Amino acid sequence: MTPTATDAVGTQAVGTQAHETVEDVIVEDVLVEDVSIDGMCGVY
Amino acid sequence: MTATLLDEFELGLDAPICLTWELTYACNLACTHCLSSSGRRDPRELTTEECKSLIDEFERMQIFYVNIGGGEPTVRSDFWELVDYATAHHVGVKFSTNGVKITPEIATRLAASDYVDVQISIDGATAEVNDAVRGPGSFATAIRAMEHLAAAGMKNFKISVVMTRHNIGQLDAFKAIADRYDAQLRITRLRPAGRGASVWNELHPLPEQQRALYDWLVGNGEKVLTGDSFFHLGAYGDALPGLNLCGAGRVVCLVDPVGDVYACPFAIHEQFLAGNIRGSGGFTTVWRDSELFAELRSPQTGGACTKCSSYDVCRGGCMAAKFFTGLPLDGPDPECVKGHGEPFLASVAAGSTPVPSPDHSRTGRSNLVPITIGRRPDRACDTSPLA
Amino acid sequence: MSPEREASGFDLDGAWEIHPSVAVRPERFGALLYHFGTRRLSFLKTPMLLDAVQRLSSSATARAALSDSGVTPAETPTYQRALAGLAATDMIRERTAS
Repeated sequence: MTPTATDAVGTQAVGTQAHETVEDVIVEDVLVEDVSIDGMCGVY
Repeated sequence: MTATLLDEFELGLDAPICLTWELTYACNLACTHCLSSSGRRDPRELTTEECKSLIDEFERMQIFYVNIGGGEPTVRSDFWELVDYATAHHVGVKFSTNGVKITPEIATRLAASDYVDVQISIDGATAEVNDAVRGPGSFATAIRAMEHLAAAGMKNFKISVVMTRHNIGQLDAFKAIADRYDAQLRITRLRPAGRGASVWNELHPLPEQQRALYDWLVGNGEKVLTGDSFFHLGAYGDALPGLNLCGAGRVVCLVDPVGDVYACPFAIHEQFLAGNIRGSGGFTTVWRDSELFAELRSPQTGGACTKCSSYDVCRGGCMAAKFFTGLPLDGPDPECVKGHGEPFLASVAAGSTPVPSPDHSRTGRSNLVPITIGRRPDRACDTSPLA
Repeated sequence: MSPEREASGFDLDGAWEIHPSVAVRPERFGALLYHFGTRRLSFLKTPMLLDAVQRLSSSATARAALSDSGVTPAETPTYQRALAGLAATDMIRERTAS
C-alpha cells in the first residue's frame, strides 16, 4: 500500500512550497510515466 | 515519494481504463477453445436501451475505450447502432470479430472512423491449422474480411491470434499476413477458460515453445501487440514491454451479455463474479463497491512465489490460468517457465478442477469438463480433433 | 539556468495545447492521459502537473501555465522536463498560430 521505494526521491505531491534541499532539486523527480497499452492483461 | 504507475494500478482505480464487453453469447462459429463458451444467445441479454445506459455510465466514468466481443458481436442487429452511440459519447471502441459481417460497405465505414478499431481473429496462418480450432471456412471468412478492410484503406486494424501448440511455428507467417494487409499483429495467451479448459492439455504451448515464443517476441516483437498477456514469460530474462500486471478487477474487467460483471473475460466463473449491472447502482457501484474487487485491490501475497528471483517480473502469472487448473492463486502459474508449477499440478486430484460456467455452447458441442492434469502428451504433434 | 538547459528542446516560451486525440482523466494521484492515436497511456504524478497541462491551451506560454498553477521557480525544471516528456510522446503539441 505504501509506495515502493524508488531511487527517485523528490518533491512530494501538490502544494509543497517549502523547500527541500538543493539536493532534491538536482535529483531527478520524474513526474510523468508512460506506457504502451494494448488492452492490458484481462482484456481481449 | 511518488508511486509508480504499477503501484497505483494494483490498488485499483475509481474507473477502469478500458474493459471487455461481451455483447452476446451468440456466435456463428464454435471454436474449440472459446473463452466464453459461446454459441447460443442467452434470452436474458441486455436490451438496446440497457446497453445505451451502460455506455452512458462508461462515459460518466471516463473509461477510455471498450473492447467489444462475445460470441460474435456483429450478429446483434443493434451492433452498429451501439458502436455509433459509444463513439458519440466519448467512449472509444475496439471490437473483436471473426469477420463474418465485414462487408466492403462496413469496411468503408470503419476506415472512416478514428475511434473504432477492429480486431480479426485467426488461430492459424493457414486454413489447415486455423480451421482445426475455429471450424471449416473460418480462415477464408477472416481473410476476406481483411481484404475488405485493406481495400477500404483501413490502416492498422488488428489481427489477433491465440498462441497454441500448433501455431507457435507460424509466428513469422502471421507477421507476414499482417504486413500484407497493412494491419498490426496481436498475439495473446491461451487460458484454460471456457471451452479452453476442455482442450488445454492438447493446445497449450510446450515449455520449449514458450521459450521460442519469448525469443521471438524479444527479437521481432517491437510492433507486435500482446494484450500484456505474456508477462509470465518475463522470467526467462527481461520483462517484455507493456504493463506486466494482472489488471483484473483493478484497471479492467468484463461485462457479459446478461450484465454480469466478472474480474476478467478469462475468469467467467462464479468465484470471479462481482455483481450485475442491472442492480440498483448499475455498473459504477459494482466497480467501486463489490467485495470481490475490494479483495483483488488489497495487497496480494505472492505466497509460494515470493522467494523466487523472478517474482518481480512475472508476479505469479495469471489468476485465471491458476484457477482453472486447480492451482492455488497465491502460487506459481501452471506454465511457470521455471517449472515451479509442476509439483502443484501433480498434486491436483483428477476431476477436481473448477468447471467453467456458464456454458452457452450450442447443442452437440462437447460439454465443458474439468481439466485433467497429469496427462502430458509425449509429442508436440498430438492434435485435438474438432469434435 | 543549467537545469533549464537540461530540459532544453522544450520551448517554455512557446504556446502549447493538449493534442486533440488525447483524453484526460483526473485521478487521486494526478491524472491519466490516453492518446487514441498512439494508444499510449501517460500518468501524471501530481495534481499540479495536471492543472498546468490543462491550462496550456489558454495560456500565452507554457511558462505562464506553470506559474499560474503554482509551480515555483525552483520546481520549474522538473515540470519543464515533464512537459518535454509529454511533447515527446505527442500528448501535447505546439499551438499553430491562428
